[in-house]
Amino acid sequence: MNFFNSLGLPLALLGAALAALLPGIGSAIGVGKTGQAAAGVVAEDPSQFGKVLVLQLLPGTQGIYGLLIAFIALSQMGILGGGAAAISGAKGLLYLAACLPMALVGYYSAINQGNAAVASIGLEAKRPDQFGKAMIFPAMVETYAILALLVSILAISGVGGLNV
Amino acid sequence: MAVIQMKRVTLCALRKNRKQVLEDLQRRGVVEISDTDIKDGVFQKSDLSDSRAVFAKNVSAARRALEILNRVVPQNRSMLSALEGKKQLSARQYEEFAQRHDETVRAAERLEALDRSIAESRSEIVRTELEREALSPWMETDVPLDFAGTKTTAAFIGSLPGAMTREELSVRVAQAAPQAGPFTAEVVGAAQDQTCFFLLCEKKDREAYAAALNALGFARPAVQSDRPPKQQAGALQAAAEEHRKAIERGEAEIKSLADRRSDLELLADYDTIRSDKYEVIGRLAQSKRTFLLTGFVPAKKAAGLEAALTGKYDLAIDFSDPDEKEDVPVLLKNNAFTTPVEDVVESFSLPGKGEIDPTAIMAPFYYFLYGMMLGDAAYGIIMTLVTFLLMKKFPRMSPTMHKMLNMFFYCGISTTFWGVMFGSYFGDVVDVVGSTFFHTSVSLPALWFAPLNQPMRLLVFCLLVGVIHLFTGLGAGLYEAVHAGRYRDALYDVVFWYLLVGGLIIMLLSSSMIRSMFGLSFVIPSPVATGAGIVAALAAAGIILTGGRESKNPVKRIMKGLYALYNVTGYLSDMLSYSRLLALGLATGVIASVVNKMAAMAGGGAVGAIVFILIFIVGHTLNIAINMLGAYVHTNRLQYVEFFGKFYSGGGRKFNPFSASAHTQYYQFKEENES
Repeated sequence: MNFFNSLGLPLALLGAALAALLPGIGSAIGVGKTGQAAAGVVAEDPSQFGKVLVLQLLPGTQGIYGLLIAFIALSQMGILGGGAAAISGAKGLLYLAACLPMALVGYYSAINQGNAAVASIGLEAKRPDQFGKAMIFPAMVETYAILALLVSILAISGVGGLNV
Repeated sequence: MAVIQMKRVTLCALRKNRKQVLEDLQRRGVVEISDTDIKDGVFQKSDLSDSRAVFAKNVSAARRALEILNRVVPQNRSMLSALEGKKQLSARQYEEFAQRHDETVRAAERLEALDRSIAESRSEIVRTELEREALSPWMETDVPLDFAGTKTTAAFIGSLPGAMTREELSVRVAQAAPQAGPFTAEVVGAAQDQTCFFLLCEKKDREAYAAALNALGFARPAVQSDRPPKQQAGALQAAAEEHRKAIERGEAEIKSLADRRSDLELLADYDTIRSDKYEVIGRLAQSKRTFLLTGFVPAKKAAGLEAALTGKYDLAIDFSDPDEKEDVPVLLKNNAFTTPVEDVVESFSLPGKGEIDPTAIMAPFYYFLYGMMLGDAAYGIIMTLVTFLLMKKFPRMSPTMHKMLNMFFYCGISTTFWGVMFGSYFGDVVDVVGSTFFHTSVSLPALWFAPLNQPMRLLVFCLLVGVIHLFTGLGAGLYEAVHAGRYRDALYDVVFWYLLVGGLIIMLLSSSMIRSMFGLSFVIPSPVATGAGIVAALAAAGIILTGGRESKNPVKRIMKGLYALYNVTGYLSDMLSYSRLLALGLATGVIASVVNKMAAMAGGGAVGAIVFILIFIVGHTLNIAINMLGAYVHTNRLQYVEFFGKFYSGGGRKFNPFSASAHTQYYQFKEENES
């Protein structure tokens, strides 16, 4: 049991690291793809730069949400404030579980939002007047990242108050 | 505050006044001109595509000429110059330009010709340089490279693979042609594993040596000349020098034409305006002495238009209400507070037939939701100030740009409000600066509460905002249905849903599980909850019975009704969608505090302060940009998907008046939009 309890902090930190890692990777992939598509459009029509830049940035938010969760988790654990409190093994696992929604949903939604945004950039290239609609399609995907973000925030702040 | 009422206008005037009448209309820019479909013995249409092609050619020549000018004589333009908008053009300037028109076209053509000859000279210089490069191994040859021999001798000038001295070369050639007579060879240069040489033999041995050399891999020089290489290289250099001078002369002449820039801009616009006019002439029905024009005009402008035109010309003008079937263009008119979001509506779709203009009901929600998502007082103040100053500094910016900045101005005010409510000023910068540099714990308390401490409380508030937003959308649908006299639709499609969703919400709130989850303190008395349940059940039954009312078959009708009831899950997900208000609001605040925390890591003191300021500026600039974008995208989403989904489908066509500045790039008429 002692050994398990000594794993509390590492487990919690693993959760925070995953929350920063996976959505960050996903966003990097998504923004990378859309960046290639956007560069192609700007090569044809430089005046589209502002609009396609907006579309390129859309899959980037998951990485920021991940950072946010990691940050909240780190400060809850006391790693950021200095003087980390002893965390039991069970609590460490709870933190890990609380970070998972953001980590996994963030990763997959960033990649898929990137795909949707690439298609929207194509739409923008062919019909520049349809920007409002082109923006909505990728934004639909992001809903799920936002829901996961919400669950992770609520769970982490809830876990902090638990006495296990 | 609505879709502007349009009148159909029919105008008949004398053909001799055609130019003036059309130019007058074009300058006013209040009439959208339709195709006049009369074709009979009297009225004809004219095809003016030839003249329009000439205008289009001039316009593109002027644009190309401007591009050349901008390349050779770059203008100092700041990043904000895009906001300046079009320059003002008076009618007199326009008339005067007619004198300079042809000369400006010539100037444009001259610029293009100069640019072409400069490009040619550049490629000539490259070509001469390549040729000189190719000549360089042959420099020692003092006969022309195409020298074939004298009366009695034959000469070979060329190269063989491999680096060789004169002796090696002679031995190899002699071995390759052992039967042939005497020869003399001389190595003149070397290039890339090649030996360049000059070989002289008797004329009778020419064939033999040619065969021998070919067998060894003989290659003639890549360049030929009828002068010795040295002279040739000198001539090439002189030619290149000549081309360089030509380029300088050309660029000087282009620079001397730089003062034509504004004339060229005017040319592009002048011929665009003329081309638009000719396009309209093509739509008119014309008889020998008269022409007939039809179109749409906003009802309010009709009287002014009639007065202005009948005062100047002999013409008959008539206004009528467009009939039901006509494709009437849509123009929105809203007050100063709501106009800025018109473009948000437009980029979804303009109101279709019988639909209300959603701008006015949408605008307050738009600012409200945006402010909640960004939710930082300092960011809000920055947004408000920057947009305000830009709008003041560039009064003539394009209407679209002005609307956008104005929208962010109001969003900024709302953001400031929510920032104060939530106690967020650059995140928690006051606390951080206080504890890092002054070792005191100060903080600006939230006027309402800090979201990070009570996320569930804010979530409940967000869902409440969502319910209000959705019910307002349903209410707009109700208004439309009642306004159009479709009372049954109003009852079946709106009232039933109000009762069902409202009843379900009250039932949910009465369950202790939901109350404890959300931390709600009030208790709903059980008779109210039971009543709400009964109402919801009745409404559900109503929806099952009426949801499929367009089907005659009773079984099919009930099935469709059940499917319509299933839509209640849609309301659930619509409401949960508003949780993004919480998530995005938290994101702004938390990232801001991450920035502050990183900035404070260098500690107090002078060095700490410098590091703090640097990280602070970079970090918060990034955070503002990313979260402004996020709030914009997700406010639009809530409006388009959740709100418009309840009552609005759009499909209207934009009012596209015949106007002088519709397609121009640089100028607009002064008196336009004043009539």
